[in-house]
Amino acid sequence: MHTLQFQPASAPACVVESHAIVEVPLTEIRALRDAPSPVGAPPLPPRFLRHCDEHTVVGVRVVLEAIAAMPEPAASFARYGVIGAPLQAGRISAAQTLSQVAKAGGIAVSPHIVPQCSLHALASAVSVGLGMHGPNLGASGGPEALSEGLFAALSLVRSAGCDGLWLVFSEWDEEPILDDTGAPANDPLCRAVAVAIRPHTAADTAAVTLSLAASDTPAPRDASAHPPGSALATFAWALAACAGGGAIASWVHECPWGAEIRIAASSAAARATRPQVAATARREAA
Amino acid sequence: MVSPHPSERAAVITGLGVVSPLGNCFADVAESLLAGRSGVREIAAAAGAREGRQFAAPVMSIPQPTAPGYDDFASLGRLEQLCLAPAALAFADAAVANVVRPQRIGIVLGIGAEQLKAWELDFLAGGKRVFEPQRSEALVHRIARRLGIAGPAVAVAAACASSGYAMALGRTWLDAGQVDACLVGGCDILSPTAIAAFYNLRALSRRSDDPHKASRPFDRDRDGFVMAEGGAFFMLERRSEAARRGAKVYGELAGVGMSSDAHHMVTPCSDPTEAARAITLALADAGIEPADVDYVNAHAAGTPVGDAAEAGAIRLAFGTAADTIPVSSTKSMSGHLVSGAAAFEAVACLAAMQREAVPPTVNLDAVDPACTLDHVPHVARPHRVAIAASNSFGFGGANLCLVLRKAA
Repeated sequence: MHTLQFQPASAPACVVESHAIVEVPLTEIRALRDAPSPVGAPPLPPRFLRHCDEHTVVGVRVVLEAIAAMPEPAASFARYGVIGAPLQAGRISAAQTLSQVAKAGGIAVSPHIVPQCSLHALASAVSVGLGMHGPNLGASGGPEALSEGLFAALSLVRSAGCDGLWLVFSEWDEEPILDDTGAPANDPLCRAVAVAIRPHTAADTAAVTLSLAASDTPAPRDASAHPPGSALATFAWALAACAGGGAIASWVHECPWGAEIRIAASSAAARATRPQVAATARREAA
Repeated sequence: MVSPHPSERAAVITGLGVVSPLGNCFADVAESLLAGRSGVREIAAAAGAREGRQFAAPVMSIPQPTAPGYDDFASLGRLEQLCLAPAALAFADAAVANVVRPQRIGIVLGIGAEQLKAWELDFLAGGKRVFEPQRSEALVHRIARRLGIAGPAVAVAAACASSGYAMALGRTWLDAGQVDACLVGGCDILSPTAIAAFYNLRALSRRSDDPHKASRPFDRDRDGFVMAEGGAFFMLERRSEAARRGAKVYGELAGVGMSSDAHHMVTPCSDPTEAARAITLALADAGIEPADVDYVNAHAAGTPVGDAAEAGAIRLAFGTAADTIPVSSTKSMSGHLVSGAAAFEAVACLAAMQREAVPPTVNLDAVDPACTLDHVPHVARPHRVAIAASNSFGFGGANLCLVLRKAA
């Protein structure tokens, strides 16, 4: 082993400009597809979401919610990038497509399946729909989506030539149960979390921050080692708790490779920032 | 866009692995590219494929890694084989396993539709995974475990630019000190559903009468791209660390530029502004001027709109220098490796540097007047290449340019 010239690094903190969480039952996503913009959010092009995957529909909605929740919305996000980290996006469409292909052959394959159901699609939809010209990319797609998405975003936010990044996660609270035609037999919630981040500056006195710290003691890389419950739901709770009144001042997410991602609220931030958990169309309200 | 590098922090390539329609090692790929050899051929129609005669650029054989621990290689799915083989080759080529701690080695895998492909291949084999509510471990983590990589492991997707984004992210980690070595690259696989989807989108060439002539970027009679499969991976290290251990260096990943068109989910943007911005950002990141570039490996897949838009972007970004910088699209020979394309085309740039010749755009019989550049039609052009720029563009308006610099 050689001596390290560059020791494990901690990246400078990023400011959380806004965030939101949205949870929508599968059966209500069709309505959201037709009317995606909440009050106070910018409009999308007409019928923009008509071919999109369910994760994308809810992912775009949560970004719009986060924009609407901003006390002073930015004039433009044109110089922002987007990272989308959906968990197993496109499964319903894939099941339906494969079921149809088995009966009718290749002619039954929708030309939208690749551009709308691949890992990049959520990020691309946010970029295209809201006019963001920074890089747009998907991250993970698998069970480590929270770690991979956060690590990628905090790595790129200072180096990607943009003013900031939108980071959007999505997952089903339980995976859809599909019949042989790909039709869902249950009504799971699609949960999406959006976070807008930009590099921290000296002028940011009242801020909730996200930061990345390296650790040399990685947790075991074992797919069965996930704690019960959703890491994304816990992350959303922690984000809201740090930002919305000082219920907690900090929270740490540990990546499987040992890096730590910390949410921290200054006391000023806790006083100044209003809660931004916009849980629209929750199951209990449905 | 990574902040200016003291040269010792520059990201250099110390390992290379490739599995492609044009060969499964650097030397073979370089030879094929400079000979103008095409990997496109007629393929058997698979279950669920579109109607009619089919052609693509397949990988004819996937080499099993020779290191211990790959006895089960033949039992792995083809997608995992296509990804693991070049990753393992690059890892072994760099020989970092005994000199860098596993926790300080990262991996970034560029793959655009891992799950769609995995569900499809399972379904075609009689499986039901796509219908079952289960979540399985992602490929990048399986490969990390297989190679003994214990640092950050992330998969990224930007459609046809995926593996280039992987290279960009890995370079960022290296620059920030998150890792001391990072395996970066990507791969893709031919699948009947993907072929049918692109065919139905009218993105594929329909020249089924002569598959070798089907991939014709920048040509007046181009009618779409030819799908391919394969992958390429690189080990990135900081120059100082590579020099300290006397590592072989293939070249430097000197600059990265990324942007988005924010125009359409599918259709390329005819306005070249954002694609040109990605190129300009990459040149600035590398600290060079347009005239310093010796070769541009174009994304040009052979689609009518995309090739013309890219020609406009090259003109806009390079200005008058575009009159004299050789440009070629190696997709004319390799086909379009989709998620693996950007990394494979970085291999083509390194080949141009090593062999001092620009690979050609085969099938470029009559240049489209909308694509006027300094093309290299049909045969390779002897030319010293010290700096190459490689473009990649993807669905959703993802733009990427990589600048590679010859090893000193």
